[in-house]
Amino acid sequence: MTSRRTLLTIAAIAGGGLLTGCGEKSTRGGATQQLDKLSALIPEARDVNLGIPPPDVIGTRPVADGYTRFPASLTDAISEKPGRGGAAIRGITPVWGPAPPAGRNNSYLVAVNDELGVPVEFSVQDGTSYADKIGALLGARDVPDLLCVPQWEVSKLARFGDAVNALFEDLTPHLRGAEVAPYPMLATFPAGAWRNSCWNEKLMAVPNPTDGPFPWVMFYRRDLFTKLGVKPPATIDELYRAGKEITKPRQGVWAFSDVFAMIQMYFKSPGAKDGWRRRPDGTPEFKYETPEFKAAAEFMAKLYREGLVHPDIVASRGADMKQLFQSGKLLITQDGMGAWQPMQAEQQNVTPGFDVQPLPLFPATGGDPLAWGDDEPISYTFLKKGLPKERVEEILRVINWCSAPFGTTEFQLREFGVEGKHHTRTATGPVKTDLGFKEIANQYFFISGRRPVIQPTPQTPKYVPEMLGYSNQTVKYLEKDPWDGLKLEMPARYKSGMTPFQDKFTDLVRGRRPFSDLDAIVKEWRAAGGDEARELMGRALADAGR
Amino acid sequence: MTRVSRPAWQEKPTVAGRAGKGTVLTGVVLAVLVPLWVVLVTSLSSRETITAAGGLVVVPRGVDLSAYEIIFAGGQITRALAVSATVTLLGTAVSLVVTVLAAYGLSRPGSLGHRFLLFYFLMTFLVYPGMVPSYLVVTGLGLKDSLWSLVLPSAVSVFNLVVVRAFFQSLPGELLDSARIDGAGEFRILWRIVLPLSKAVVAVVGLFYAVGYWNVWFSALLYIDDNDKFPIQRVLQSFILAGQAPQTSGVAAGTALPPTLAVKMAVVVVTVVPIALVYPFIQRHFTRGVLVGAVKG
Repeated sequence: MTSRRTLLTIAAIAGGGLLTGCGEKSTRGGATQQLDKLSALIPEARDVNLGIPPPDVIGTRPVADGYTRFPASLTDAISEKPGRGGAAIRGITPVWGPAPPAGRNNSYLVAVNDELGVPVEFSVQDGTSYADKIGALLGARDVPDLLCVPQWEVSKLARFGDAVNALFEDLTPHLRGAEVAPYPMLATFPAGAWRNSCWNEKLMAVPNPTDGPFPWVMFYRRDLFTKLGVKPPATIDELYRAGKEITKPRQGVWAFSDVFAMIQMYFKSPGAKDGWRRRPDGTPEFKYETPEFKAAAEFMAKLYREGLVHPDIVASRGADMKQLFQSGKLLITQDGMGAWQPMQAEQQNVTPGFDVQPLPLFPATGGDPLAWGDDEPISYTFLKKGLPKERVEEILRVINWCSAPFGTTEFQLREFGVEGKHHTRTATGPVKTDLGFKEIANQYFFISGRRPVIQPTPQTPKYVPEMLGYSNQTVKYLEKDPWDGLKLEMPARYKSGMTPFQDKFTDLVRGRRPFSDLDAIVKEWRAAGGDEARELMGRALADAGR
Repeated sequence: MTRVSRPAWQEKPTVAGRAGKGTVLTGVVLAVLVPLWVVLVTSLSSRETITAAGGLVVVPRGVDLSAYEIIFAGGQITRALAVSATVTLLGTAVSLVVTVLAAYGLSRPGSLGHRFLLFYFLMTFLVYPGMVPSYLVVTGLGLKDSLWSLVLPSAVSVFNLVVVRAFFQSLPGELLDSARIDGAGEFRILWRIVLPLSKAVVAVVGLFYAVGYWNVWFSALLYIDDNDKFPIQRVLQSFILAGQAPQTSGVAAGTALPPTLAVKMAVVVVTVVPIALVYPFIQRHFTRGVLVGAVKG
């Protein structure tokens, strides 16, 4: 049986090498030349006036704006059919859940393809093993017309910059500057998203701009906190005391799931570029080497040692934190922002009064808090290299159509399908039917982009203001990434060590090995690729003139 | 009473010994059955029961078939079961034919190039083709998106080949010689003499193959793009891991409702049951078939 390890090994052989991309921020000094070079590559930003009502809640960038209601009427953004009746466009996109039906068996695809005037045929692949799948496709040079590559997979793919060069169409001549005019929706994307889409100083992909920068949020069950009379913690001591107060093993209730990432954030351990930061002397250092990480690990180990973490989680890797949290068996957990709304919407029907809230970010050690996060796009859409010019234009028109913003008929069809079939219209907005849930799996979303907004959610009307309230508050403390916009190809040894060393620290905080091993593990990490990675990170900064 | 010196294992077992054995065996049986029980009970539980239990349900509280209604209403599970059944039947047949033919040829001393061929087969234990070369061969043969891509690359398992060959070698040579004297050719000898004597090993190896094909997942990940041709294990994985979208994917990736735990467990049940049903039919061959291969290997 071919294993996934085999792939990694093959991929690792070729590793190494640094691919400096583009994407400097105007706010940073010393990189003006590169910035100029890039500015010439990306589309000219231009708003489209479609008469869409202004957003109800404004987000501080990179946080998106939000709507609390669906607009009363929808706008037609694009009058012309993008397709010229060409052959079917083949696309590969990820999904996290059951794959939807394909081709003619999927009435949603049929409906959207009718509007496009050219069919897009999707192969929807499992998101958790997506890197394996794309790795094989790239290795065998067997890419579809449109390939969606999620941003977090890019770092897993060896020599991705070379693959991009060899396999995908250079979009610079089609989209740079004023050339973007035939695709007005693409001109509305934030410039940062476009800069991230450059490889080897060419514009290679259409980005899908992010709608929220935070990888982790600490959530707590407000309903149960109120019931127990516990105040939501605002300092690290209060967090510990709340944990003590909540944990009642006899009643089967514990305070925490594994919240190590959030604890690291509280202690201001670095999170930029997977945990790198710059020392005052300019050299890079990884989080394992910092006193902040050590303090966070000590605190987390204390939570484990004193039995404040649910025992199912202590014992395993994959215990269902979400389920335990929903059932009130644990009251504080960390998760992605995306987990909040669906959980609230579903569980409020099961548990009356169910109320999940994010815990406002605080620092454990004084000063301002530190929030991990970035504004990299959610995903990139690549076009196969060597397609005729007319075909590239047809595909870009399709992407443009799919990128129509919230409040347009195109967006409504792409997001909710056909009224009466995939969704029903209610006073507060469209509600997906069972068929809608089955057939719509973000297929067109993952081959395009849009000006990001947070959509209203009729079942949870308070979600948008609450979510944006938290985000706007937290975004002020977003960690500065010294490598922002640089595309780095990390050494293979460092990459393959990432998970094993993470596991070692997991063992450490869970009390499976003595805490005094910490320094030894760090030493081992440095020898096993850590120092090599540091050198590369340092060189990247020097090359970029930072 | 005179004490007769006998080895310990010839003594009548003591009560304590029997109780000890019983406890250990019960423990082993429970370790196998309890997880299956939990999966089954959870799949038959309502959402409220699951929330009350905080996850997997051990003590049933009423029977709720809605999870099964959901998975069979979709059409996806039935289609995937049909795909997996086809692959399993087709694959097992193809694999048995090629394995038996190769094993017979390699078991006869003096057949053409058999030393080289045996070495060639055994080499694959040591040197395994990488994923990208395999992918290139499969796509180069035009097998992509075809069910044959799940069958042909894994049609011969060298381990099974060695087991069958060892069994064939254990058959008395005189039998085959007498058949040859009676004018039988190699194919007739194989079909009329060797195979009827080898039912046990063929059954066992067939089961190994069948389970392998039923569990095919990685080949499908690589070679099958058409979502309607996914075998059951890929669908199972998509259900079990549903909702585990990466944290950075924001709100957009969370727009589809993840299936409930009951639905996930119901998919596990329909994945396990069909192949588990095969075991009782093969079981009687099991001990003999495996032992022969093991001792004579």
